[in-house]
Amino acid sequence: MNTNTPSTSQTADITNKNSLNNITEMNNMDNNMKEINSCHEENDNKSESEQEGACASPPLTCSSMDESWVNAPEFVPKNTIIRPRSYAEALSPEAIAEKNANRKLCPYVNKDGICRNLTDCTYLHGEMCDMCERLILHPFNEEQRKKHRQECLKQHEKNMELSFAIARSKEKTCGVCFEVIMEKANGEQRFGILPNCNHCFCLSCIRKWRQARQFENKIIRACPECRVTSDFVCPSMYWVDTKEDKEKLIDDYKKALSRKDCKYFKKGQGKCPFGNKCFYLHAFPDGSKCDVGPPLRQRRPRNVDNDIDVLQEFLNNLEDSYNSHMTMPPSPQLRQELEERYYRPPPENSNISN
Amino acid sequence: MANIAAQRIKREFKEVVKSEEVAKCAIKVELLNDNYTELKGEIAGPPDTPYEGGNFVLEIRVPETYPFNPPKVRFITKIWHPNISSVTGAICLDILKDQWAAAMTLRTVLLSLQALLSAAEPDDPQDAVVARQYKENLEMFQLTARHWTSMYAGGPNVNTDCDSKIKRLVDMGVDDHQALVALSSYNWDIERATEQLFS
Repeated sequence: MNTNTPSTSQTADITNKNSLNNITEMNNMDNNMKEINSCHEENDNKSESEQEGACASPPLTCSSMDESWVNAPEFVPKNTIIRPRSYAEALSPEAIAEKNANRKLCPYVNKDGICRNLTDCTYLHGEMCDMCERLILHPFNEEQRKKHRQECLKQHEKNMELSFAIARSKEKTCGVCFEVIMEKANGEQRFGILPNCNHCFCLSCIRKWRQARQFENKIIRACPECRVTSDFVCPSMYWVDTKEDKEKLIDDYKKALSRKDCKYFKKGQGKCPFGNKCFYLHAFPDGSKCDVGPPLRQRRPRNVDNDIDVLQEFLNNLEDSYNSHMTMPPSPQLRQELEERYYRPPPENSNISN
Repeated sequence: MANIAAQRIKREFKEVVKSEEVAKCAIKVELLNDNYTELKGEIAGPPDTPYEGGNFVLEIRVPETYPFNPPKVRFITKIWHPNISSVTGAICLDILKDQWAAAMTLRTVLLSLQALLSAAEPDDPQDAVVARQYKENLEMFQLTARHWTSMYAGGPNVNTDCDSKIKRLVDMGVDDHQALVALSSYNWDIERATEQLFS
């Protein structure tokens, strides 16, 4: 007999739940959902106490008797569950659904949605999201469920993207210093992407090369590997393989720059030598944008050589000033280093594609 | 900065040692000091050239700003070539000057030099005497270059005629190299060479 005890109480447990379900169904059928929350909770409490009873009390008789006992939904007095409905509730069952949807989830859960006191807690608890594996989905609020799933999916895609980016960047070496870029010292682990070819360099090396004054402009603005000329270098935390990724990176970069004020234009007080080819923002203090026309050089064709020098000077400075646009913001350490290393007294700025 | 240069040479050194050119004995690099600033390079004379069979030693100095500036390279082994000074071994090669690129390596430099031996650029000479001979009398140039290779780079093609001319001048009291330079400069005309040496 003793060996039967666990199984008996288990059966009791299950059948008990069944009976509860029956009740709920009945309620639904009757459309008697008034105060379902409190009913639900009462039922929960009741079922627990009944369960406890079943577990605690030794099986007095045979199991068939037990079953007959638990199989008795009629035993639950109807008038404790079914209360009179208000007129408004009778007219709009949606109101109840809404009420349920607005119930707050238990605030005492940990980050995984697990309640410290699940058995006694009378709050509503979330269902498991199969993406993030947290008990976070509201059982009644479809909107919340949908929103969470979308967020989860987005986060998941983001994580995937990042892990792919890391995977494809991990082994890349710089064509100048020959070091694995992701293994360089902190703050040096950045890629300098050339728009017109697919050779891989770390940002600091390609910038340094492009500043090498001892060579002609044409030489230093060319890729050190293939000599294809690129007009600028786009900083990136990760290597980009595909054309689409690269276009997006460069596009984002230009967009980020176009929100920063041009340090030559000075909100209308100065003149930008790059004219409308400048990547930075040319806007007056009131925010209105200004078309400053073509670059300086085209307006002064006579003194061409001199202008090229001036332009080169600016170009060198502009390359220095690509400080902040990346997939991730630079650490304060990096920022400080950039400032020490790359900022020179003449302004940071701008950029041209000619 | 010096750190980048040394680090890179260290990596390149490994690369060169493993490269297939080394396996074919076409190029070689050796370290001369511990801080990776001075190296000794060696290239084999390319086949079907007057330099075939010779082994040419190069001095390589790596500047602190390497690889943003080219290494300084010159021939230690004396060589007769329009783009290499027969006196100092200085090399006129664009990539070692204004056409340098930061992605180039010791290996590519040595291979470029080997290519230079196969394809001289007489219109951009380092040694005007050699370049003139190359343009005016290619056969004479080849004979001379071959003889220099045999004398200084261990080349196999010894020209007995040239040897005897050198010996005659040496007998007059000049050293081997002076005799060779004089004869080479005057298309192996022993009278004009003598005149030049003793005037």
